[in-house]
Amino acid sequence: MVLCTEPFKVTARNIAGVLGLPDYPFLLVQHPIGSCTLPELKARAEVAYRQALPILLQA
Amino acid sequence: MPGVLSRIHEVPDDLLAAIDYCYEQGWTDGLPVVPPVVDRVKAMLEGDSRPAETVIASHPATGLELSLHAAAVNAVMAGCLPEYFAVLVAAFEAMDRPDFNFHGSTASTGGSAPLLVVSGPHADDIGMNADVNLFGPGNRANATIGRAVRLILRNVFQMIPGISDKSTQGNPGKYSFCIAERARGNPWPLLCEEQGYPPGVSSVTVFAGGGFCNVENHGGNEPEQILGSVADAMANYGCITLGQSVVILAPEHMRIVGGAGWVREDVQHFLFSHAKRTVEGMKGVGKYRDREYDSQHGEGAHALVEPGFVHRGLSPDDILITMGGGDAGGHSCFIPSWSRGRASIMQHSPVGVRIDRAQK
Amino acid sequence: MQLYAPTSTTPKRKAFRAPVLASLQGTRIGILENGKLNAEEMLAEVAQLFVQRHGCTIRTLASKSNASAPAPGNTLVKVAQEVDFLLTGLGD
Repeated sequence: MVLCTEPFKVTARNIAGVLGLPDYPFLLVQHPIGSCTLPELKARAEVAYRQALPILLQA
Repeated sequence: MPGVLSRIHEVPDDLLAAIDYCYEQGWTDGLPVVPPVVDRVKAMLEGDSRPAETVIASHPATGLELSLHAAAVNAVMAGCLPEYFAVLVAAFEAMDRPDFNFHGSTASTGGSAPLLVVSGPHADDIGMNADVNLFGPGNRANATIGRAVRLILRNVFQMIPGISDKSTQGNPGKYSFCIAERARGNPWPLLCEEQGYPPGVSSVTVFAGGGFCNVENHGGNEPEQILGSVADAMANYGCITLGQSVVILAPEHMRIVGGAGWVREDVQHFLFSHAKRTVEGMKGVGKYRDREYDSQHGEGAHALVEPGFVHRGLSPDDILITMGGGDAGGHSCFIPSWSRGRASIMQHSPVGVRIDRAQK
Repeated sequence: MQLYAPTSTTPKRKAFRAPVLASLQGTRIGILENGKLNAEEMLAEVAQLFVQRHGCTIRTLASKSNASAPAPGNTLVKVAQEVDFLLTGLGD
C-alpha cells in the first residue's frame, strides 16, 4: 500500500505506468505530511485506512 | 539494453515546421531546439567509438536507459557540436553512479539541476568559458552541453515538469548549468589533478546544484573577511544541511586568499569551521533533527565539528572550491547541494578516456 | 526530413500486483518509511488502525536511507517474506 499526498498523484501514476502497473491504486491524502501535528496525522490515517480496505480485500 | 535505435519521424522538409514539430512532440525545454536530423546525429556519434546502442546511464527508479544514440540525438537538439559530446557522455557516466542519486536530484521538490564543472585542457580545446559571465549565456559549449543534460533528463528519463519533476520553484540552472574551471591565474592545482587523473586528462564533476548564491564582498582584504562572507552564505537557514557545497572564488577574491598563501585545504577547513548554526537556532526555525546532529557529531566526527553547532556538511572535503569568473568584481558564488541531507554526493569522470578507477 | 526521436527505447515493463487478502484478521503488516519528516509517524498511525480494528500485528519497520532511491532488493525480499501487506509512502 503506497501512501502519497495529492500533489504527487500525477507523479505516482506516471511512475506506476512506467513500471508496468498504470492502474495501481494509491492511498491519497492531503498534503503535506512533514509539518503535520499528531491530530492531523491521525485524520490522514483514517482517510488512508478507508481507501486501503477495498484495495486489500477486493480484486 | 535498448537494442534498437530511436524511431524515425518523417516531417516536411521545412526547418521552421520541423522546429514546430519538436514542440508539438513535447521534446523541448520551452526553447526551440535544433531538429535532430539523421546526418547530424551520426556526426555527433563519431565523438565516441563505442556502438551507438551502448548504455551509458540508467534510471534507478524506472529502469529507463540512456544510449549513446539517444544522448547524441539530444545533444544535436541542444545545439552541441560533435566535439562537445565527450563531456556530455562523461557527465552521465558520472551521474549514473548510485551515490549521485540522479532520480532524486531531478525529481525532487528541492529543484536541483546537475551542475557540470569541466576541468583540464579539454575545456580550452572545445572553447568553453571559465571567465567573465561564467554562469551566464553566450558561450556555445557551456550553454549547449548544459542544455543537452536537461533535454536528456526530460526526453529520455521522462523527468517532465509537474509530472515526475516536482520542483517547487524550479531553478534557472535547469535550462543549463555547465562551466569550465578557470586555469588562467589559478594558484591551486586544478580539480582534475586533485581528483587524481593523469596529466593531460580532463574531468567533468557533476553536482546536484540546488541554486545559485552570489557572494559579494568588495571591502574585505583579508582571507578571513572574504571567506567569512562565503561561510555565512553557506550557513543561511534556507540552505544549511549536511550536504555538500560548491564554491567558486572570483579571481579578485582568489588574489586575496591565494595571495596570502592559503591553499585549497586551508580554505575548506575555514569554511567548514565557520559555516554553522547553533542547535538553538536550528530548532528555532524548525530544521533541527536529532539523527542529523548525531550523524555529524557521533563516531567518526570530523575534528573541526563543534559541539552545540550544526555545520554545513560532514567534513571540509564536502566543499568543492576552485576559481572561476571574470578578472573584475568581488563576486564569488556558493551553490548548495540538493536535498535536506546528503542524498546526492558529487561524482567525477574523465573526459574522452576510459580509466580503471582502481588504478587511478 | 527525417528526425530521430530523442526518447528512450527501453522496452516497456510489465508487472503484476500481489493477490488480494481473504481477510484482514490477524494479518501481518510491514512498514517501510522513506526517512522524510513524519513518514514513520504517518505510516504508524495507519498501521495502528489495522491493529485496533482487525487484530493485525506490525511485524517489521524498515527505513530507507535514501528517500528517492528504490529500497534495496534485499530489504524488499526480507520484508515480503515476513508480512502480508506493506505500508509505504512517497513524496513529502
